[in-house]
Parts: sequence; structure tokens; C-alpha cells
Amino acid sequence: MDFKLKRKSIKTPISGSLKETYPHDLQFYKVPPTCDINLQEFETLALERVTLLRTLATATTLKGLRLNSEEYTEYVLGELRTQGLKYYARLCEKSGCAETAADFEARRKDHIAHFILRLAYCRTEELRRWFVAREMELFKMRFAVMRGEAVDVFFKLNNLCYTNITDNEKNEIIHYLRECLPYQNIDNMKFYKVKFYEVLDLVKTRKVYLSGGYAYIPHRDFISVLSALYRTHLRQSLAIASQHLGEIEQDERLVSLLKGLHQSYSGNDYSETKSVVPIESLDSLSLKSFPLCMRQLHEQLRMAHHLKHGGRLQYGLFLKGIGVTLEDSLRFWRDEFTKIMELDKFEKQYAYNVRYNYGKEGSKRNYSPFTCLKIINTPVGPGDCHGCPYRHCDTSNLKNKLLGYGYDPQAVHEVVDLAKKGHYQIACSKYFDTVHNEDVGLGINHPNQYFEESQKIIKGGIKVEPKKEKVTIKKEEIDDLEGMDFDEPL
Amino acid sequence: MVGQHDENLLSDMLPIYYTRLFPQNIFCRWLTCGSYPHPVSNRELSFTLADDVYIRYLSINNQKDFQTLLQKKIPHKLDIGGVYNTKPSIARHDSVVLARELVFDIDLTDYDEIRTCCQEAKVCEKCWKFMVIACEIIDKALRDDFGFQNILWVFSGRRGIHCWVSDYEARTLDSPGRGAIADYMCLIMGGDNQNKKVNLGSDNIHTSIRRALNIIDQYFEQLLEEQGFISTADRLQTFLKIMPDENLKSQTEKVLAKMSEASLDRWKAFLNIYNNYYRENSNSSRKIKYLIEEIKIQYCYPRLDVNVTKGFNHLLKSPFSIHPKTGKVCVVFKPGNAKNMKLDEVPTIYSLLDDSSPDNAQHQVNMRVAVKNFQEVVFSLEKTEAMRRRNDANTSLDF
Repeated sequence: MDFKLKRKSIKTPISGSLKETYPHDLQFYKVPPTCDINLQEFETLALERVTLLRTLATATTLKGLRLNSEEYTEYVLGELRTQGLKYYARLCEKSGCAETAADFEARRKDHIAHFILRLAYCRTEELRRWFVAREMELFKMRFAVMRGEAVDVFFKLNNLCYTNITDNEKNEIIHYLRECLPYQNIDNMKFYKVKFYEVLDLVKTRKVYLSGGYAYIPHRDFISVLSALYRTHLRQSLAIASQHLGEIEQDERLVSLLKGLHQSYSGNDYSETKSVVPIESLDSLSLKSFPLCMRQLHEQLRMAHHLKHGGRLQYGLFLKGIGVTLEDSLRFWRDEFTKIMELDKFEKQYAYNVRYNYGKEGSKRNYSPFTCLKIINTPVGPGDCHGCPYRHCDTSNLKNKLLGYGYDPQAVHEVVDLAKKGHYQIACSKYFDTVHNEDVGLGINHPNQYFEESQKIIKGGIKVEPKKEKVTIKKEEIDDLEGMDFDEPL
Repeated sequence: MVGQHDENLLSDMLPIYYTRLFPQNIFCRWLTCGSYPHPVSNRELSFTLADDVYIRYLSINNQKDFQTLLQKKIPHKLDIGGVYNTKPSIARHDSVVLARELVFDIDLTDYDEIRTCCQEAKVCEKCWKFMVIACEIIDKALRDDFGFQNILWVFSGRRGIHCWVSDYEARTLDSPGRGAIADYMCLIMGGDNQNKKVNLGSDNIHTSIRRALNIIDQYFEQLLEEQGFISTADRLQTFLKIMPDENLKSQTEKVLAKMSEASLDRWKAFLNIYNNYYRENSNSSRKIKYLIEEIKIQYCYPRLDVNVTKGFNHLLKSPFSIHPKTGKVCVVFKPGNAKNMKLDEVPTIYSLLDDSSPDNAQHQVNMRVAVKNFQEVVFSLEKTEAMRRRNDANTSLDF
């Protein structure tokens, strides 16, 4: 694939009519666009698609909506309309093969914008993962709303043909199919046999019958096969694109736009602070200015003199973010850990980790403190105390903990109730209000933001201005994306 | 030979162990076959030397190289990484991992909240049963559900087991694929703040979970007795916290607290209470429909370190490496034989190299058996690989 073709300097017009090029609302983006477009449109299309993808991200994570649920689709379509992205709303609402000029125009924009973003998001593994995860959500949503006949056309256009298993074969395994699939009328369904890696999302959630490496799926689960195909295609294309970055970047007009695209939307990442917080004050700070996730880690550390890896990472980076120096940090962890272990063991096994958090070891990257999103989505296993307490605590545990702190039972009830409903960050904001005895109603999306807001209130309006990140330098290190499993919606 | 471990002796003994006892030939064949179609030199090895000095990105071209490298560095621990697009030692900045066995790591420390006989680094015959169950369940799922055939099981040297799947499909599986398999196998979720860690919902129980439960049932009562899961007041409280239904919980507490401490009796009494309660309370039955199954899983089901499985390039201790803390050999065992494995019968570097050790003869035999187990897996891997390549060649000729 020659990526030069997408640059505006190429003059060849698209061959064939719009009808031939864009027969269907949904496409696999196999062929790159070859038309002329001006810089203005290039930029607009890119930004609009980033907006679209970020809307999708917000829907599943911040809003906690289930992928392809009714509320999800409704929310996304609503957002697209209010943001003025009517052509995307059009493509997502009823994917099909209508033939009006507006349809062709929408498909053209969708096509070009997708390829522009490939260039912007092929740069690092983290960006690629984010991009692929969002594009997959988009694809699935559009496939899910497609009508029957449009689906058939789509299969035909893309040369997809599968044959179903025989009735005999089906009868032999029907018992297992009933056991494994969440559907009622198994008897009337036709089943297809595909390799397990073609339907990984079904495997992951245990919603498919597997035998000998094959998955047996009904027609309605075909979206999994298609999205797996699409994912593979997309990942390969991104890999190829990244190898051609050099050629693209010869055009200076595009470089800064493409490089800054993802960053232009993300907020402060708290990886550097000006203020210095002495470790002696952590105990008192933890009572009021730490969000509950950090408070519980602090208490656990003081109590057990140990935290498992996930906890050390989450808490250690937070401490760095609020302004604990590396030397203080080392002393802090050492003092606690050496209560249960030899100094030598700490220095050998744990000090590295602390220095690592401050970018002094390993890849020497200045890691950013975790955002709420990341904390909420982090897997938490046996023995772990990290994570988001509103998500990773049993209701009764959460309630007892808060009551144990001596907060007003009514307020505690509200917090717990919010957490129970899955509004983790709103619960956190309510907790903030309770602790500070004020009704601020903050939108919390970062533990360090919680800390700063709290300090503002306590110090009486003295603004702790977070140092603005130099966006240009940070670009290569999208640390808050690192390690996060974007393939996995909530 | 428990208690005779001395790390200082290792540096003297390891060169002899690597030359005389380490199955170098079979090991290299395993790596070569598992790296195909890339040369074995693209495979990353990593050594931990004395005093925890750590070297990554090593590689070997053949067995001779390997022997030389071992003798030069005398690693206290030997880890295996992924297969890169180039030799891992050069051009590190743009090298990528192309293939890697699908691996599983199960460690008894993850069972600390349920096992009562030992904690942390300790391990005994009683808690080894958890590993037996884990091995059986995972091996079965890998074979039956995913159709994998070339599966190597290795004792990790102290308190856990490793599993290496070398089938071509498994080796070339991408990260999401590994993640999906790990999640498919993982039933226990949640940290210290979540008491009930298993949720099966109220629909049918998936075939693979049914099968796992059948395996658990073979051991459950024995484990219950040996571990005394619900014998003391504390353990009973932990057990009660799993119950999602307050009434059932208080009923159970009332009866069980008065009984004798024998866990099995208490369990049977609980089953009675549960059955009656379930029959009489249809409105809360959805929530507790599979409570018994959920409890069994929480207490017995394998607790995987999913990050090891999900990562494409997680280093994992090599078979027949010596565990630097225990001196034990990371022996290969047959999954069907896990239940007969005795921890003090695992050969150590000391018992193997010291003729006067009382265990010497027996451990020599056990070591040979372990090597033979390894050979069997490698032979079968080589056979399937050869067949696969022939088939691939045929299909490509058809075009």
C-alpha cells in the first residue's frame, strides 16, 4: 500500500463513480482514497473523527454504558448531533446502501477521515491500541444497527462466504450449545464452525461453545468474526503505515497536525509538579485530601507494611504527582517495608520500583500518575488493594469503611448507592463533598485532580496551578495509555 | 534434603549440573522447534547470575553455543523469552516479538487467602493439591476446548507450576488472543475488598465450567477437611461473607457456629440449609442459584497470574533451571501424574550431585523420568510441526 497516495499532491481522480466506490455505508477500508483534498478539509475531517472516537470512549468508560446497548447507541447518536457531526450520525443510525448524494458524501468523508487517523495513530503501540479499540466499537455499532438485506449485501460485497454445519453435527452437540449460549431458540438456529481465534470476544466472555479449537456460532454472532477480520486488517495496515511515517513526515504541513492529534484532546497528566509535599504530612493529608482509593492504599501500607505490585504502582505514582520527591519516596517506602523485611531485600527488590516510577530506571520514562479511567479498568486480583474502591469493593465493605471513618450515615448511603449503580466517579465526587463538608459537585477524573481541588479548599482559595505540560515534548510518551487494555470495554 | 540449601555452593555446583544433568540436547530441540520458522538464535534467553545480576537479550545458535554460554556465565536462574524478528542482542530499538509459547503461571501465594496450612513461600503436600486441581483443569481446557496438543507442564521449583503450549496456533497467537484465553480460564476476580469473587450469573453453567466443577468435586471434600476451610470462627466468618443473601447468611451462621469444628460436617449442614432455603425462597433464588458452585470455585479453581499469559514477552523460568532459593530442579511432569507428585521427591542440585546423599539414587531416577517426560513432549511437538509444514507445503502447491 502506498501511503503517498493520500497526500494532497497526488492528482489522480478516483476511478469509477461514487456509486462504485462507496456502495455501502459500512466498509472495511481496504483501499486508500486517491482523491484531492485541501489542507483545510484534511484537518477538519481528522478532528471530527477524533471527536467521534472520543465520544465512543466516553460512552463505554466514563458513562459506563454497555457496548451496543440501547442507551449506548442513543448516547452516541445524540452526542454526534450536538457536536455537529451529522454525517457520522447518518452513517451510524441506519447503515445501509442508500444512494443519495448525502450518503455518498458521508461515506467519502468517513473513508478519508479513517485513513488520515491511521497516519496519526500508527506512531506508537499505545496509540495503535487505542485507535483499533475505538474503530472496532464504531464498526460493531454500525453493523449492529444494519438491517437484514443490507447485511447480505455487505457479505456479498466483501466476498464473505461461510457454510453452516449439518443437522447431524448440530444434534451431536446441541446439549453443549444450549449450555454455553445465552440464546433461547437454539433449535431453530443455523450454526457455523469457525476457529476460536476468529471470535475472541466471545471466547473472552465465555459466550460460545468451544471444541477442539473450533467455535460453534449462530448467524447473529457473526459480528465477532467480522470484527476480528477487521481488527487484523487494521492492525496490519497500521504496522505498514508506521513503517512509512518517514515519507509522510517530509510534508511539514501535516507533521504537527498528525502528531498532536491525540494529545490535543487529553488533559493534564500530572507527571510533573512544582509543589513539594513532605512525607511527614502524608498521614494528615490522607484523611482529607486523598481520594478514597489512595487513602485505603495509604492505610493498608501503614497497617501491613506492604503493598502488592499494582498498589505500589498506583500509590507511588500518585505520591509523585502530588509532589513527594524521589528521596522522600524512597525513605517512605523503605521505612514501611523494612518493618517486615531486611533492608537488603528492600533495596534489591523494591527500591528499583520506586526509582522506576520517577523515571530513573529501565526505559527511564517519566510515568504519569494513573487516571480514574485507568484505575477503574485495572484488573484487581486476590491480595490486591488497589483499584477504585467504588468499583472494587463489596457494597457492605465500602459502607462499613465509610461509616468507620465517622461520616454522616445519610451521605454514606448516597455514596454507596451511587457506587452500586456503577457511577464510580460521581460517588467519588460525593465522597469529596462529604469529606470537605461542602457542596462542590466536582467532576473527578484524576486522583491528583482530587488532591489539588481539596488543597484549594483547605488552603482557602490559594490556587495550586498545575504546571502546564509542554505538549510538543510529551507527544512520544502517552504514558497514561500505557499498559491499559483498550480492547476491553467495561 | 530440605534445609540443606546453601546458595553459596551453587556457583561451584552449577557448571557440573549444566554439563552432566541439564538435558541440553532436548532443550535446544524444544527451543528450535518452538521458534520455527525463525531461527533459534532469534529467541531471547535471560540469565540471573549470582547476586541477582540480571542479563537479558541473550541468544544461542546451537547446543554448542549454549554449553559455552552456560559455562561462561553460570546462571543461577534461566529464563526464556519470545522469538524476535532479529537476534535479540542486536538492533534492540526496532525489534519485535513475533512468536512465543502460550504460557500459564500458577503460584500458591495467590491462594494465601484460602489455604490454611501454609502461607507465602511455604508449601506442603496439603496445599499442593490446589496445584493438582489447577493442572488438571487447565490441561483439559487447553486440549478439549482449544484443541492444543503440545503442552508442557513444569514445576516452578518452589510453590507453583508453569504450563507451556507450543502448538503453532498458540505460539503465533496475538495479545488479544492470549488475553481472551486467559479471561476464558479466569473465574476468580476481585481484590481483598471483594469477598465474593466468583459470579456465575443465573443462566446455564458453561460446559467448560461444568467440567472444571467435576474435577473439583473429586478433591473438594478432601481439601475441605485437610484445609478446614470453615472450621474456626474466623474462617467461618470469611465463608459467611461470600453469601449474597442476608437471611441465608444468618441462618447458616446460627447453625454452623454451634456445631463441632469439622469442616466437612459443617459443609454438609450448610448444603441442607441452602437446599431448603433455595426451595422456599424463589424470589431471591436468582442471586444464589449457583452459590454452591461459586463457593467451590472460589476455594478450589486455579488462580492464574493472567499478566503472564497475556503478555507476549513475559520471561518465564526455563524447564530444568535450578530454583535459586530451594535448589530444586524445575522438573517436567505429566499432567495426569501431578497428583502422585511428592515435593520432597523433586530432585535438588545437591541430592543429584552428592553421591553420599541418602536421596541420591532415587532423585537420579526421578530426574531421568523428568527428562523422559520432556523428551516425549518435544518428540510429539517435532512430529506435529513436521506434519503441519508438509500440509502447508501441499496447500501452497495447490495454488
